[in-house]
Amino acid sequence: MRPGFLIKMGGALLVLSLGLLINPVDLPGIDQLGIDAGAAFAADESPAVEEEAVSPYQPAPKLTEKDYPTFLGFNGRVFVWIAAQLHLWFAAFVLAVPIFVFIIEAIGMKTRDKRFDSMAYEFIKVSLTAYSLTAILGGLMAFGLLVFYPHVMGYMTSIFKESMIFYALIFFAESACLYIYYYGWHWLQGPFKKWVHLTIGLLLNAVGTVLMLLANSWLTFMMSPAGIDAAGVFGGDVWVAMHNFLWNPINLHRFVANIAYGGSIIGAYAAFKFLSARTAEEKAHYDWMGYNANFVAIAGLLPLPFAGYYLVAEIYAYSQQMGITLMGGIFAWLFIIQAVLIGTLFLSANYYLWCGLGRSEGGVRYYKYMKYLALAIVAAFLVWFTPHTLVLSNEELKALGGPYHKYLGPLGIMPAKNTAVNIMILVTYLSFLYYRRANKIATVDWVKAGNAAQIALFVMAFANIFFLGIYHGYFTNTVYKVAASIPQVLTTLTVIVISTVIDSFIYKNSKEVAPQRWGRVPPRSQYALFLLAVSFTWLMGLMGYIRSGIRQHWHVMDVFRDNSPDAFTPSLGYATNVISVATIMFMAMVIFVFWLAQISGQKTQTAGFWKE
Amino acid sequence: MKQFLAVIGFSLLTIAGFTGFSNFGIPRIEPAPPPTEEKIDLGAMTMDQFIALGERTLNGKGTCKLCHNELGRAPMLEEIIPNTEKRLADERYKGASKDLAGYIMESMVMPSAYVVAGFGKSGSNDTVSPMPDVSTGSIGLSQAELLAIVAYLQDSGGAEVTVEIPTDVGNAADEEADAEVRDPITDPLEIATEFGCGTCHKIGEDEGDLGPDLTTIGATRDREYLRRSILYPNVDLAEGYEADIMPDDLGDTMFAVEVERITDYLAGLK
Amino acid sequence: MKIPRLLQAVLVLVGVYGGFVLVFDVILEQVIPSSLLNMYMFFVAAGTYMVFTFNEESTEQIVAPIKALVEDPSRKKIRNVVFVVLPLFFGLFTYQQMKPSFEAPLELRTIHPAPPAAVKVFGKRYNLLTLVNPYRKFEKEDPEKFDELVNEGGAVYIKNCQYCHGDKLDGKGPYAQGLNPVPLNFQDVGTIAQLQEAYLFWRISTGGPGLPKEATPWLSAMPVWEDFLTEDEIWKVILFLYDYTGYSPRSWEHE
Repeated sequence: MRPGFLIKMGGALLVLSLGLLINPVDLPGIDQLGIDAGAAFAADESPAVEEEAVSPYQPAPKLTEKDYPTFLGFNGRVFVWIAAQLHLWFAAFVLAVPIFVFIIEAIGMKTRDKRFDSMAYEFIKVSLTAYSLTAILGGLMAFGLLVFYPHVMGYMTSIFKESMIFYALIFFAESACLYIYYYGWHWLQGPFKKWVHLTIGLLLNAVGTVLMLLANSWLTFMMSPAGIDAAGVFGGDVWVAMHNFLWNPINLHRFVANIAYGGSIIGAYAAFKFLSARTAEEKAHYDWMGYNANFVAIAGLLPLPFAGYYLVAEIYAYSQQMGITLMGGIFAWLFIIQAVLIGTLFLSANYYLWCGLGRSEGGVRYYKYMKYLALAIVAAFLVWFTPHTLVLSNEELKALGGPYHKYLGPLGIMPAKNTAVNIMILVTYLSFLYYRRANKIATVDWVKAGNAAQIALFVMAFANIFFLGIYHGYFTNTVYKVAASIPQVLTTLTVIVISTVIDSFIYKNSKEVAPQRWGRVPPRSQYALFLLAVSFTWLMGLMGYIRSGIRQHWHVMDVFRDNSPDAFTPSLGYATNVISVATIMFMAMVIFVFWLAQISGQKTQTAGFWKE
Repeated sequence: MKQFLAVIGFSLLTIAGFTGFSNFGIPRIEPAPPPTEEKIDLGAMTMDQFIALGERTLNGKGTCKLCHNELGRAPMLEEIIPNTEKRLADERYKGASKDLAGYIMESMVMPSAYVVAGFGKSGSNDTVSPMPDVSTGSIGLSQAELLAIVAYLQDSGGAEVTVEIPTDVGNAADEEADAEVRDPITDPLEIATEFGCGTCHKIGEDEGDLGPDLTTIGATRDREYLRRSILYPNVDLAEGYEADIMPDDLGDTMFAVEVERITDYLAGLK
Repeated sequence: MKIPRLLQAVLVLVGVYGGFVLVFDVILEQVIPSSLLNMYMFFVAAGTYMVFTFNEESTEQIVAPIKALVEDPSRKKIRNVVFVVLPLFFGLFTYQQMKPSFEAPLELRTIHPAPPAAVKVFGKRYNLLTLVNPYRKFEKEDPEKFDELVNEGGAVYIKNCQYCHGDKLDGKGPYAQGLNPVPLNFQDVGTIAQLQEAYLFWRISTGGPGLPKEATPWLSAMPVWEDFLTEDEIWKVILFLYDYTGYSPRSWEHE
């Protein structure tokens, strides 16, 4: 009241008189932009204000512990967590299988090799039962969210209602495509009908991908909200909210990972069938199937680290806080666990390929090189695994004079990891190359030159990757540090492409050393396939936890706070225990799915049961 | 069956291995719990108290009066209510509110929605307001505080108070809570920062020019005079400066020890 | 004489283990942490297993001696010895691992804890996500002024920071020996080269007591520089840190 009290009073009188003139009905309470949050705050209490509302959008609710219902003593978070994770595993599997079934079917159609067609059919048969489980688990997750997080769902629905309805409708299209694709498999055979069938397969994949993109947009909205203001009031443009900062990075990462994951699960199926096969033909068939599934898994696995780096780089670009929570804070240790898992994936994939050398006599020629590949891949993996923060005993701390290790420390940061992962990928590719050559003798006269070119290519690639990693990683500034990973990736990809081309020309019209004997692999190699599938499943669970966990105590990052009793970030041990339990549940369901696929082909002959 | 059990056993062992490594192979860290939110008890607040909160916020944390005063840096807040209708109808108005409460709210978080003629950023031709969005940045008013300001402006301007007291405000006024329990500041320049002296006075690194230059004030004024000028600014007026500009409630908001420190400091500036 | 496969595998493992110890502990004089070495060896063992068992022939040679030890009646004596010694060995190993010791529990320090979204220093609230060094722009706009600012930052550094962080910014200042954790080495690629300037601003102005819980126990002796330096001085000293070490701050643009 200090300055100009009189002026103010005068103003007030003026206002008073004006205020009497203005009919309040002409002035709706909430403006279009939703800047007035008053109504929202009072919304629960005062229907009067709600009636005045013009904008349908409310700011993000501010919840208290009481707004999170409890139900039969379930822990809401763990319930939703496990349901979502199970749903995701099945969804990944169900989305991925049609992708490579489509490709395998196309290969079969091109080569007119019936084996491909029947393998594709067997794959899709496995995924069919998984499809209904996906839907059931999706429903369970939605139910969990509605029961335990009604306000969160309410808020999300208010923004994404169109795309949610669309999602539900598109599920019909997905089902229709899948059922026609599967049940029409034997019907739609022949020159023209096969084309129709393949087109349905393409349609199935397109619809499946759209489903995934829609669901992805909801979760990336929670991580990197867009289209809303600081209070969480939605601006009305659904596309802006969907096309948020992390949408595409997640899309890419999930798409690639799904393929690798689908391959690994099918691989496990084939491995189990192989192990329990009684006849040589069966063994040969499932060995071949396992090999192809593993090929798909590796093909997906190789580009996966790049997609991962792209995602993390975008997370950093979106928010340094989120980035450091992810890579520098407590989640940094999760990446050490992740390193162990990815190492396991690479090692088991390589081991499976090496074991496959034994399928033909020709493979023996390459046995001696495997130890060098092992050396390279283990060395690269150790670098990949070295943590940024070392766990030191007090004695070691004293001996080092501090928590920094002069030589191991630099291995803890990105340039070293980038270099390592590129080496791992190249070595895995080399394993595959050796496997491909195992049973072949080239007949072209430029074999020597071709091999020399390939050797030169690999040497140059390794040198380039090392140079980029070491020079740009440690002797230039951060902009280059991140940038150096791109030429590294390009080097790796270029080598893979060029080398594949050269190799395919060298071995065009090649002779076989000895007949390729499918089924002649040790059971150990099949366990490598199981290891691949289990590690992949567990790894996906872990990554899901991290992706969701970096939001910390936010439903929608920085906008909609999680005030539930479970808002805290669980400790790593607790999180991994939940993941393990979920993995075991998933395995049980997968066994059920496989079992169904098995009994569907069995017929029991009964005598005297039916009327003759 | 044997194969089946072997495979199951192998898979369970693998999972156990990963779980074991995650539990025991890496350091066990308990992540920090989410930061707690301090709350003001709005549930027990009457509208009068809410309006009073608005006034306090306007004069204090909101730092509104630093510019919205008679010195012409920003339009007077008393002019809002008489002019709202006109402003909302003005073609230069870019906002979307339709009533007084909405307009005041909008002006605080989207100051450029309507710029009163003559008060725009220089060179922007009155399209951009120099005022910050007070719900963010260093001012960072909460929704409750913004609403309280709306309520206060409506009430003091004589209009009907249309806003409602929010029932739950999340991290409403943690600053408010801070202010009530804050510790006395010992560093004189920090005291000056805390109470915004530099906005008008030349002191420390601040170069305010609305009040007397304080950089050599100790040479001409004694401690008694300085202390009196802080506590009762309108008693002795420096030549060429008007009364009623410097806040007269510093005696209420400053700790005694702070008054003494800053007096000592000013007296020492020679 | 050809060394038996099984012995080869064992020799590889022992050799790699010895190699790590030799290279790090003896030659480089930077001990390799045992926690890390154990994990390294686990994966070296996995790699060795892969190399020695991927083909039947080699697997046969590995398995044969083990099988013989267990099954061959003529090896009864050695079998009995092994069956007694092995459990004892693992028992001893477990005992050694589990027995209580006077060693203080391991302390883990997260070197770069995640920053808060906003920090309140100098009586103001700074949004760390958007905060930029107000002087950084001069690097391109006005190099002379920039050099001047860096020099001023250098003066601030010498007056305040070098006692711990060292005159070469390598964390080896005169007082560094007395501190645990030791002062940060800015020359290391893993420190300021990885961070944005806003992060440094946060760490400098709030010091050790301002560390979040995940980075604790905060024995860090880093003072709360907010109490001693001005905002300007902190920004200038940040310029100096990057200028002297030759690193660039992590930037927003991912070019």
